[in-house]
Amino acid sequence: MSEQADRLGAGDERKWPTKSEFTPEMLKEMEKLLPGKLNRVVAASLSGCIHCGMCSDACHYSVSIPEDKTLVPAYKADRFRKWYKSKYDWLGQIFPSFVGAHKLDKELADDMYDKLWGACTMCRRCTFNCPMGVDYGMLVRAARGLMQQVGRVPQHLQDTVDTHHNSGNNMAVPRDEFIETMEWIEEELQDEEGCENFKIPVDKKGAQYFLTLNPREPKYYPLTIQASAKVLNAAGVDFTISSRYWDLTNYALFNGYDPDAKEFSMWQVEDVKRLGCEYLLAGECGHGYRSLRWELPNWVGGVPFKITSMMELLAKLVQQRRLKLDKSVWKGHRFTYHDSCNIARSGGIMEEPRIIINAATDDFVEMEHNRENSYCCGGGGGALAMPEFTPRRIAAGKIKADEIKATGADIVLQSCHNCTDQLKEIIEHYHIKAKVMNLAELLAPALVI
Amino acid sequence: MENNVSHALHILEEPVQYMALGFMALMYIIKISQMLKKPVPPEKAELKGDRVAGAFESLLNVLKPWSMESTRKNPFFYVEFMIFHIGVALTIGATFLIPLVPVVMTPVVSKVFMLFMGLAFLIGLRRIYRRLTVPEIRIISSPDDFFAITLMTVFFAVGFIAMSLWIQGSPDTGWMWVFFLMTTFFLLYVPFSKISHYVLYPFGRINFGRTFGGRGVMNKNVKNPSWNPK
Ligand code: SF4
Ligand code: SF4
Repeated sequence: MSEQADRLGAGDERKWPTKSEFTPEMLKEMEKLLPGKLNRVVAASLSGCIHCGMCSDACHYSVSIPEDKTLVPAYKADRFRKWYKSKYDWLGQIFPSFVGAHKLDKELADDMYDKLWGACTMCRRCTFNCPMGVDYGMLVRAARGLMQQVGRVPQHLQDTVDTHHNSGNNMAVPRDEFIETMEWIEEELQDEEGCENFKIPVDKKGAQYFLTLNPREPKYYPLTIQASAKVLNAAGVDFTISSRYWDLTNYALFNGYDPDAKEFSMWQVEDVKRLGCEYLLAGECGHGYRSLRWELPNWVGGVPFKITSMMELLAKLVQQRRLKLDKSVWKGHRFTYHDSCNIARSGGIMEEPRIIINAATDDFVEMEHNRENSYCCGGGGGALAMPEFTPRRIAAGKIKADEIKATGADIVLQSCHNCTDQLKEIIEHYHIKAKVMNLAELLAPALVI
Repeated sequence: MENNVSHALHILEEPVQYMALGFMALMYIIKISQMLKKPVPPEKAELKGDRVAGAFESLLNVLKPWSMESTRKNPFFYVEFMIFHIGVALTIGATFLIPLVPVVMTPVVSKVFMLFMGLAFLIGLRRIYRRLTVPEIRIISSPDDFFAITLMTVFFAVGFIAMSLWIQGSPDTGWMWVFFLMTTFFLLYVPFSKISHYVLYPFGRINFGRTFGGRGVMNKNVKNPSWNPK
């Protein structure tokens, strides 16, 4: 293998010049960048809010922390909207305070930083409750992109993106270490009863499915890879994992920097083409799924293969009766399912998880708000990569914790790694006796092989 | 009964109002063309649903209170919203019907108009109260928000009184003058105010419908067996 072929990522050891304060120069630069962010969705979202307040009860922040009124969606979006209005609203240019317009100064920019990085997960629940169709996902991402470009971005979030840029995955897992991990997981899998012939094919050319992973899996949760591989093998799915661009995450979705989002997507596209796979298969990861399925084709201008997800594939396997499951394995447990915002509301996957769950258990209870109405758990939008906002993130998870508690479930299923971590934290914080699992982990023990 | 207004009021009702209407239309054309010039984010992903059906469904959102939790849970708020907006349409409509086809404005029709004006007036008062007293609404309210709702509320009241005098056979009253002057002011002011939100409504709704319709989140009954697991 040549050194060039072995090198992953851009390999230029980039360290984004982050800043701890807004300076007048940065604000000036943001002014210059603003017009470039105003596509029709962002512009309509900035000018269309009528301050009706109907979104106030839609947000997990404002519902979980009712004493802080600055957490209602319209107030948060207004931190950006005020600036926009001062430049583009006809009255706002003449009588700014009359329409709530405000020029971008340090105070407003600081407020924007606090509210749009640290008090919004871009979950779009408010969008679904807004009569004007204000798209908070797009609006907040545009604002974040502007701040990020001048260096005012949460350090840890930017580090994650930089690591991805520099090494091809967001945890800088070296290629040889990754291959070794896959081999080790394969051995562990083969030690399971009935799985002696199961494989985790790495770099198999012409495989039907190109399975992608969240870097937390090889790093901290190898058992989830083992579970996924077990299910796919049991169903006879022809899949492979690339030793190169296997990371499905794209934190540039969260920091709003399009060139990186495009770059990470392009690497993956080239890798799928290299192995000649029919499907790019998103593993169980919320933003990763949305990034691959709905954003990647736009970032790279279309792809010559199909894109699907573990949720869809597993549901198909269940429906085609390619998985034999023994429900008695889970007897005595009650399950509930948390719809990740990027999978359900922004991704359209709502029934598939239920098909999978109902095939493996008879005791499944929905949370009060589910599918596209599900509250964000609080871990979306890159929130877990912004430790400076941790107390607010945990407080904002209260509504989700309350809903989990109300189901009486002792196992919370989900299909997203950010949700996993947030759910684990809020379950502990709000003293709920439940554990968190993904869908492959639900199916794997119930397989009859 | 056919009421007629004085020549002076007629001038206010017709040529002046038409000029104001023309101005408003021009401002709207500029507003809409500015929005249309903005690039539309591309959608190159394989769709799970129908973007056009989604856009239509989303545009009709206003007629489907069950489609959003925020209206599902607040049916009273939704009813208020509908009455208020019907009141707006009828009140502005009255200022055109009175000079153009006064014969249409029979006592019965006029009373129906008045009913909505009266209800819209009460709702307007409640909305002002809500904006002042509910902390999460007050915190997001700008002077324009207060001015717009106050202006509308006063407009309903003036319209109500002018119409009641109209029914009693006194068309050319001070109230009618104020009513028409307010309409003229509206036509000139609205393009700059939040009241013009109805021009932006289709943009927001179509954007929403195209995105989430295409992703199969809404209009779930669109047949596409390649993705629909049922
Ligand atoms: S997108 Fe989600 S987190 Fe952000 S304001 Fe809306 S509901 Fe709240
Ligand atoms: S529901 Fe929509 S229009 Fe109303 S305040 Fe919220 S964002 Fe603005």
